[in-house]
Amino acid sequence: MLYELKNLKKAYGQRTVLDLDRLCLEENKILALLGPNGAGKTTLLEILAFLDRPNTGAIWFDSKRVNFTLGNLMTLRKEVVLVQQQPILFSTTVFKNVEFPLKIRNIPKAKRGRIVEDLLSLVGMEMFRDAIAHKLSGGETQRVAIARALACSPKVILMDEPTASVDVENQITIERIIREINREKRISVIFTTHNLIQASRLADETVFLYEGRVAQSIYENIFSGQIEVDEKGDKFCLLQNGLKLHTHSQKVGSTRISIDPNTLRISKPTDDLPERNTFKGALIQLSSEQGRIRALVDVGIPLSVLIPKEEFEDLQLSVDQTVYLTCPEEGVEVF
Amino acid sequence: MDFLVDSFLSALWLIWSRDAELLLVIQVSLKVGGTSTLIASGVGIPAGFFIAFRTFTGKRLLITVLNTLLALPTVVVGLFVYAFLARRGVFGSFDLLYTQKAIIIGQVILIIPIVTTFTISAISRIDDSYRKTALTLGANILQTAWVIIQEARFGIMASVILAFGRVIAEVGISMMLGGNAKGFTRTMTTAMALEYDKGEFVLSIALGLVLLMISFGVNVCLNIIQGRARV
Repeated sequence: MLYELKNLKKAYGQRTVLDLDRLCLEENKILALLGPNGAGKTTLLEILAFLDRPNTGAIWFDSKRVNFTLGNLMTLRKEVVLVQQQPILFSTTVFKNVEFPLKIRNIPKAKRGRIVEDLLSLVGMEMFRDAIAHKLSGGETQRVAIARALACSPKVILMDEPTASVDVENQITIERIIREINREKRISVIFTTHNLIQASRLADETVFLYEGRVAQSIYENIFSGQIEVDEKGDKFCLLQNGLKLHTHSQKVGSTRISIDPNTLRISKPTDDLPERNTFKGALIQLSSEQGRIRALVDVGIPLSVLIPKEEFEDLQLSVDQTVYLTCPEEGVEVF
Repeated sequence: MDFLVDSFLSALWLIWSRDAELLLVIQVSLKVGGTSTLIASGVGIPAGFFIAFRTFTGKRLLITVLNTLLALPTVVVGLFVYAFLARRGVFGSFDLLYTQKAIIIGQVILIIPIVTTFTISAISRIDDSYRKTALTLGANILQTAWVIIQEARFGIMASVILAFGRVIAEVGISMMLGGNAKGFTRTMTTAMALEYDKGEFVLSIALGLVLLMISFGVNVCLNIIQGRARV
């Protein structure tokens, strides 16, 4: 086992950002940490990178218990490297940035040069070897940061939202690099994302984090709202855009809900009176995902729906089409 | 008016002919000022780094005290150091008073707050992500510190140049602790004060011109550094 975390807690002041009973991450895989903003993904990555320490709990790395003393952390940091969401490149050339980890590891100069050239070529940045690092675009910066991380010859590369601030072309390149370094260099990759499609496309395994805890189900379509009771005594969740969603929840007041995309149903508008929790909306995006179709329907809020391929073919859906979206009450989970 | 023009022309001639007395005074000034800047940088840069990076009780108070010391009058430093170096003082037995070393001690005290506060300011502007990046790439504490100092190098260099500008132009410390001994502790500013007392303006003006050229050179360096920092 690459990482094993037990009863791990991390709090900043009164706010607990991580509370994990047990989490095991396997070796030589691509693992995605999926969750909304504030789920504790970055904090977990910094702990896994040995840049931060938990308040309580224990970590095993490579089947050895981690001792959070300065000397031990420095040794562990040689095996794990973190590529931040907005990577910091030092204010020098691209070459010297990638050379830095090799230099501090006392690799001879001639060998350093060869390694840097190879790594820049791997990330498609060989043309930029003498460029000033601070003048690169977001995607180029991310690629140089990955090359620099690889120069550490790590056992694990941790990446915090590697494609969050890059264009589609760079996103494709970065995903290719992630696959290559995992398959060819046998380096474990753990990356965070809030993009479920990317996680399912890239990762061998996905861990869902929600409010600092590992969530068992797929948390998608997460919204804040207010649970109220109408004149008939029925409970509904009033979402921020005014959408009323009937629910069986016992809770009243401010809350957060998640709507399982597998339970949402799309139908074509008819003259019949729509059933409860059915909203009219526009189909704004369609994509294929592991034998299913993911549709994004705008009903005032964008809702992600997963439809079996056969059902999609029967419905003959197309983008910009007006549809009905039904949200069964059992698909609404209230936190 | 003729008198001023004559003095100015004579001063230019002194500089052009590389007058021995003039060169000696410039040499003493640069030696003393350079040494004190070097020592103050050796103390002030690590101190500034430490203060900027560590959290400790009294940190804000210390920064406030250092900021206050930026406005320290040179005569106050002169008087203070004199009390220690005079024959009856704690360090009287070292016979340091009226030596170049005494001037250096005074000037170091004068500019340590400058180097330290400007280093704190330069380091504080560097995002904490630089520290985390260096650490995750496997750097040890010293290598991480070096990365941060390199990122803040333009700000730190500016602090050193400012400090040098301060010592080269100060007169109080050099006069009170150096004693203005010809060929030994006579600096550009003390020589100018003496020549003025004597009513001899030619050497004063010549030294004033050299001082202005040095100040100009220092400011040019500062501008180049600040310009590079913006790139």
